[in-house]
Amino acid sequence: MAAERIAENKRGVLGWINPHNCNAERWAYTFQRITGVAVLLYVLGHLGDTSFFVGGPIGAGPSESSWAFISGIVENSFGHLILVMVVLVVTFHGINGVRLILAEFGVIFRKPSAIEYPYRPKGLGVGQKAMFVGAIALAVIAALMAWWILFEGPL
Amino acid sequence: MRESRLMLIQYVTAAAAVVLVALHLLLQGVLVPYETAISFGTVLASYRSIFSILFLEVLLVVVLVHGFNGVRIILQELRQTLAWGRWVDLGTVLAIVISVGYGTRTILLAVLVGPSA
Repeated sequence: MAAERIAENKRGVLGWINPHNCNAERWAYTFQRITGVAVLLYVLGHLGDTSFFVGGPIGAGPSESSWAFISGIVENSFGHLILVMVVLVVTFHGINGVRLILAEFGVIFRKPSAIEYPYRPKGLGVGQKAMFVGAIALAVIAALMAWWILFEGPL
Repeated sequence: MRESRLMLIQYVTAAAAVVLVALHLLLQGVLVPYETAISFGTVLASYRSIFSILFLEVLLVVVLVHGFNGVRIILQELRQTLAWGRWVDLGTVLAIVISVGYGTRTILLAVLVGPSA
């Protein structure tokens, strides 16, 4: 029966943020998905605001007044705070994504071994842990640089 | 298209996006001062350079294909029915076509039409 072939993911999106039995790899997975969706939403908004360079959705060519109009809306402290957050999540998503690609192709994956007490997960080796921590650290550094550029001036 | 091929596309676009987005961010504040980078004259000048135009178009396609394919993967995991899968695939293709089309329209208008006040 068709109904028997349906195997729904009962936990769904809530399963991502359930802290029960979560290790670092699980949190990396959760953050990768949340930051991915956040970046896509920003990109769609960015498509919208950059289109005002040519007058917006119904524009017909480069327009200085239209560009000044949208700049007046997004170029303020709140808009710059959003940009700092975007740099934070984009940097994390990018570096953690490189970790996932390397793991997918077995480059930084630990060798399988016999299951022994106390049954610690073998997936996250030193290389992967270092890249996960590095992704967080570099994201914070990049966000601080963005903060400096947007609120203090050129580096 | 086979799921393995779609995942390969996801990884290839991811690797390309890391390089392209890093360069894009560097050009918007580090290599070029932020105030200068977002000024009307600088943006207009970037649409007069073939390298800059190609860079923006490739960035647009790579990021949107990666982003919407990522959402497709998330949605495919939530329910595993044939109908759901087909609707999600169709929605993904439509979303990519519409968003890439809108971004390309911006680039084409900026490139082909002269500026107005």
